[in-house]
Amino acid sequence: MSGAPAIPALAVRGLRAGYGRGGDIVRGIDLDQLPETILAVIGPNGSGKSTFVKALAGLLRPREGSISITGRDVTGLSAARRVVAGVAYVPQEKNVFATLTVRENMQLATEFLRRRAGTGREQEERVLTLFPELADRGRTLAGNLSGGQRQMVAFACALLANPEVLLLDEPSAGLSPRFVSETMEAIVRVRSAGTTIVLVEQNVQAALCIADAVMVLVAGRKSLEAPAGQIRQADLADLFFARAA
Amino acid sequence: MTAYLVTILVIVAIATLVGLALNFQWGCAGLVNFGVAGFVALGAYATALLTPVVGWFAAMLAAAALSALLSVFLALLSIRLADDYLAIVTLGFGEAVRLVLLNEGWLTGGALGIAGIPRPFASLIAPEHADFALLGFAVALVGIVYIILEALVRSPFGRVLRALRDDPVVAASLAKPVLILRIKAFAVGGAVMGLAGAMHAFYMTYIDPSQFTAITTSYAFMAVIAGGRGSNTGLMIGAGTIMLLLEGTRFLKDLIPALDGAQIAALRLGGVGVGIVLLLLLRPQGLLREPQRKAASLLADPERADAADPSLPASHPQEI
Amino acid sequence: MIGQLLLNGTVSGLLLALPALAVSLTFGILKFPNFAVGGSLTLGAYAGWVFNTQLGFQIVGASLLAAATVALVSVLLDVAVFGRLREQGSIALMVASMGVSLILENLCRFVFGNATRSLDVDVARPLRWAGLRISHEQIVTAAAVLGCLVLLHLVLRTTPLGRAMRAVADNPTLAAARGIEREVIVRLTWAIIGLLTGLAGVLAAIDRAVEPLVGWSYQIPVFAAAILGGLGSPLGAVLGALAVGLSEELATLVVPTSYRQAVSFAVILLLLLVRSQGLLGARAVRK
Repeated sequence: MSGAPAIPALAVRGLRAGYGRGGDIVRGIDLDQLPETILAVIGPNGSGKSTFVKALAGLLRPREGSISITGRDVTGLSAARRVVAGVAYVPQEKNVFATLTVRENMQLATEFLRRRAGTGREQEERVLTLFPELADRGRTLAGNLSGGQRQMVAFACALLANPEVLLLDEPSAGLSPRFVSETMEAIVRVRSAGTTIVLVEQNVQAALCIADAVMVLVAGRKSLEAPAGQIRQADLADLFFARAA
Repeated sequence: MTAYLVTILVIVAIATLVGLALNFQWGCAGLVNFGVAGFVALGAYATALLTPVVGWFAAMLAAAALSALLSVFLALLSIRLADDYLAIVTLGFGEAVRLVLLNEGWLTGGALGIAGIPRPFASLIAPEHADFALLGFAVALVGIVYIILEALVRSPFGRVLRALRDDPVVAASLAKPVLILRIKAFAVGGAVMGLAGAMHAFYMTYIDPSQFTAITTSYAFMAVIAGGRGSNTGLMIGAGTIMLLLEGTRFLKDLIPALDGAQIAALRLGGVGVGIVLLLLLRPQGLLREPQRKAASLLADPERADAADPSLPASHPQEI
Repeated sequence: MIGQLLLNGTVSGLLLALPALAVSLTFGILKFPNFAVGGSLTLGAYAGWVFNTQLGFQIVGASLLAAATVALVSVLLDVAVFGRLREQGSIALMVASMGVSLILENLCRFVFGNATRSLDVDVARPLRWAGLRISHEQIVTAAAVLGCLVLLHLVLRTTPLGRAMRAVADNPTLAAARGIEREVIVRLTWAIIGLLTGLAGVLAAIDRAVEPLVGWSYQIPVFAAAILGGLGSPLGAVLGALAVGLSEELATLVVPTSYRQAVSFAVILLLLLVRSQGLLGARAVRK
């Protein structure tokens, strides 16, 4: 690519985070992610992937370090403000309001984001084009949907916020293989529409298929970061198991 | 003057017993009991009614047993659900006891209460030493209860209780052994409250429903919060300090003649409320640092990770 | 005779519905059983009394002002007390709310004394209809409560605020990830709770009297109603309140009136024996 170096869509410096009075789970991570790319974050269980993403989302206050979105420092922002600043998050579980209808879930996705541009009618239409099934299910309680359908709603709600950076925590978890590939396809389409995506995944194969870059987390630290093309599965096995905490 | 000192010390001793009991139920086992006054009243009335019939020792045992029995009943009903229910149920129990005491005059003497309660060893002690003797008795009782409770707290029983108190995920198992342990703990506390009631009856020699009110319950909570969680020594200090302070405020009436009876009462009771709130705000360590004790106890399956983070309540669809 | 009891029970049930709703909302959104409801009712009663008899407002105006007063106090209490204790868990909040109830009740006792007072309401002849005796107070209470319930229902179901409140009750973490500041919703919830309880306090004053223990006397029935309906379910709280009101009245057929209070307690015990989740509540699971 020629031209001036792009401002990273997501820039992380020295990030440390943990829960309550416990120790650091995320132990110092530096990261620059180019815009409109998919970064797969993989690693063994307990490596801190979920914690990392929660810290990015603002659900966990970083103990040290900084997070920037397209050059704007968002480290001090609460989760709610971070959404307005352009970060959207899809948690792994409980990612919809089960006691509210699909329509209400989607209304809530933008109702409190007045100050964010691009969350209006047009975006709604774009999202519905991506997930046409949602239009019919407006009145259904989100809790009554199947796992795959809920995933769709969760995804759609995050997109409605017109995020610059979209954080996905194991979107393939619990889905059948067909749904997994559909989900991955949807993620690629979202990237094409201009969003930068951080994808935490246990399903390494699925993630590697669509990722532009890969970051391996082991015991809270970055043990590898490389373009997807340069990764071989064999290397990963070494990393996952040899460098156990 | 000495007479007054003896009075205060006996009152402190009785309050300490109540505090030790609540400390075991709440500080150690994490069970909230808003009906403390009711259990103490039960012990007092049982003692008053039975001492003339079976002697003071048997009456004391009966008081403890009755209180323990009702504790088991209430705990059985509610702990299997959630501790919030226990709080509400014990609150109701306290009120129910008060109503029964007031209305069943044939048994309890109604608002007039029961007078002429014989004291332990009454026949053996000269009248001028009666209060001293009772103080000695009270202190001995407190000592024995302290030793027993302290032993329980340090025993495997106590350790399990504290682990259950701290870890809602573990405690969420509806396993019978878990429930039984907590019910037992509640009953032990109940028994001690019954003993405190017996002590109260012996000391006052005259009881009526107005002696067992929200003040008793609130004082106990304040003592436990002040003293620190599970620590019986801390509790003794807490209970002692609070009772001394509160007895001291009886003099307020003389110092500030402008205040009438209702206002003094309001200051004292309101002061306890302030004390509870301030202690909770300023002394979060010890009793109420509960990083795992999240959200409504009625919620199932707190997300593991969220359960570890105090600022994120456990999520569970609560429909409103 | 039965009809009169049913009528009285329904109206007193309606009166309970407002504070029961408040407890339900606290439980659903703030995640703890709020024992301050008793003290808040008392505060509402006295505020109403002051506005009505001391400052000359008509009862309607006095009620609204009383409601606003309790709303303000509730929000301040959240700022000063409950907000700071949120991280300590529901038990700390529960005990603190008990302390707060004591403070509110005794504040009133300190300022106004123990004397029983009453509001300045027009004394009108009760209506007679189908053999029933319907007092003006009952009509006013029923109308006020029903109005509130409808309003609250509309807010919860159709407004963004209502959606946000339900979202926070459902999943506070996710709500944050959707741009909803939990603190803001919590403060607004306290305001609503205050409005409901304040108004209920005035209605309670009309029903009974203005004295320091008026709120406390409702504490158990209110909780019985909230539990009956399933803690956290507003509709359930209303139904539960009606059920408690009716059972208290009907119980007078078999039990002396002095035991009226105990009826609610018995209801709670029975419920716990029989049906752990109340009428409409979430399944109760140990912690």
